[in-house]
Amino acid sequence: MKTPLELLTDKKNAAAERLKEKGYLSKKRVYIGMATCEIAAGSKEVMAEFEAAKKQGLDIYLSQKGCAGRCHVEPTVEVVDPEKGPVLYTKVDAKKAKEIIQKHLIGGEPLAEGEK
Amino acid sequence: MHNRSLEVFGKAGYFNSQLRIALRNCGIIDPGDLDDYLNVRGFEALAKVLSGIKSEAVIAEIKRSGLRGRGGAGFGTGLKWELVAREKSDQKYVICNADEGDPGAFMDRSIIEGDPFSVLEGMAIAGYAVGSDKGIVYIRAEYPLAIKRLEKAIEAARKQNLLGKDILSSGFSFDIEIRLGAGAFVCGEETALMQSIEGHRGMPRPRPPYPSASGLFCKPTLINNVETWANVPVIVVEGAEWFSSVGTEKSKGTKVFALAGKINNTGLVEVPMGTTLRHVIYDIGGGIPGSKKLKAVQTGGPSGGCIPADLIDTPIDYESLGKIGSIMGSGGMIVIDEDSCMVSIAKFFLEFTQSESCGKCTPCREGTKRMLEILTRITEGQGKEGDIEKLERLGNMIKKSSLCGLGQSAPNPVLSTIRYFRNEYEDHIKNKKCTAGACEKMLSYVINDKCIGCGACKRACPVNAISGSTKQKHLINQDLCTKCGECYKTCKFSAIDKG
Repeated sequence: MKTPLELLTDKKNAAAERLKEKGYLSKKRVYIGMATCEIAAGSKEVMAEFEAAKKQGLDIYLSQKGCAGRCHVEPTVEVVDPEKGPVLYTKVDAKKAKEIIQKHLIGGEPLAEGEK
Repeated sequence: MHNRSLEVFGKAGYFNSQLRIALRNCGIIDPGDLDDYLNVRGFEALAKVLSGIKSEAVIAEIKRSGLRGRGGAGFGTGLKWELVAREKSDQKYVICNADEGDPGAFMDRSIIEGDPFSVLEGMAIAGYAVGSDKGIVYIRAEYPLAIKRLEKAIEAARKQNLLGKDILSSGFSFDIEIRLGAGAFVCGEETALMQSIEGHRGMPRPRPPYPSASGLFCKPTLINNVETWANVPVIVVEGAEWFSSVGTEKSKGTKVFALAGKINNTGLVEVPMGTTLRHVIYDIGGGIPGSKKLKAVQTGGPSGGCIPADLIDTPIDYESLGKIGSIMGSGGMIVIDEDSCMVSIAKFFLEFTQSESCGKCTPCREGTKRMLEILTRITEGQGKEGDIEKLERLGNMIKKSSLCGLGQSAPNPVLSTIRYFRNEYEDHIKNKKCTAGACEKMLSYVINDKCIGCGACKRACPVNAISGSTKQKHLINQDLCTKCGECYKTCKFSAIDKG
């Protein structure tokens, strides 16, 4: 019989597989802060922009995340390029979200103001 | 396992000097996806203890780590676990206290919204260690998103056999349910919280018996704060030695603070115990906006005290903060600049505790009311000689004789501001003057020679206290003036002096 640790390892591997299937390693990952504070700052609109872009065929791994504690720069959007590493965008609104989609996700060039 | 935010957010100065243990996954993983949590070594701690570690050994490990309750009082977590484990009973309970009520504090909300699984895992480990199969999260109803995420997390964990019956085929069963609080501040107090879960009115009861012997439904109960629970899996995976290498001699690990008030970078900060207030305010918080001077820092919410600017090199740990008249509390940290009046700040916090006093014991119910009356009259320019002494006497009496933590700590903001800013109180009482200009009732508005007689203030005044004919200098009748400030806001020629 398997020990709890071995059973957990199985679960972990299955979870990793599922994430990979969703494109965790192959696609650009976009994380949008969706805690109460970020939603209050307007992150739902930002999420809607990315969701719409994804529906129109933009091939990304889109996910929500909790609050990283940076209240003064919310809402935050983090774009992780599997090859180039993460870029963090602060105080994102719908307009800036469109820019991120056009320039960073489609064009491949991070916006100048993104924190690396 | 800890500090992954550094890998993700790297250079951002805000994170550089932080050490994130409780917040390790906040802002990094998808809180709605168990797969994400499993990927960051989630539930490894639980699986580890279930794979043959004895419950006594788990408790010993928590004890050696030196973890203390993050809810504010700082009671040794391992010792608490041991006390509950020692009790013999057919049923024991494990409770997570998520009734976060301090104004301006949101550590617990952030942890539950950003990383709900780590709290569940911590509770399950404790359930195994003390011999309980039932966990309850008591969370305030004002956190709808946190509740939703928690419900989803519990459901997902059950589906994967990480909660519920026979967890990971180990024979150990543990399930968690959620109870909502109706928003009473006093229900964050452990005995009141349990009364509330039982369906009674949320009021504290005298201790002993302590919850470890007779808690929820008169059964042995282990209750810890959200942040404490979030620390537990890290201790089990990384070991007590590693955890106790962080922090000071008596306060181990890290503490999350909610930075608020007059500070550039408001937000959540997690720093090792022993970090100085200066470091948190200036290096992480980015200092005070508008190059204003720091006046004081208020820690511990309405139960804490004000620490004056010249003591900001004090290391943050349970003992040091206690020594200077404040408390660690659950982690609120409000920065106060020179524009603030300390008397009205003390009044603000007392107003809060006074209205949240449950009314069961006299010192808290009556005492805080009388203190508030005295403070109100001081800020309205009606202060009398001897009021400061009266406040001190009442405050110390309430501290010593109240039934629960709410009353025992309610006078702290007043006592600490008297201790460090006595001159401001004296100014209010003797000179009827508020130097910071914050006490509205003590201000007077006077029209100066810049007045061109446009009549705008006259029209704005709700009590018709301003007189004067067109193109002539106007005059404010001080007897009629209610100091509402409307004229001051209306005047376009800076012709009204406030002071």
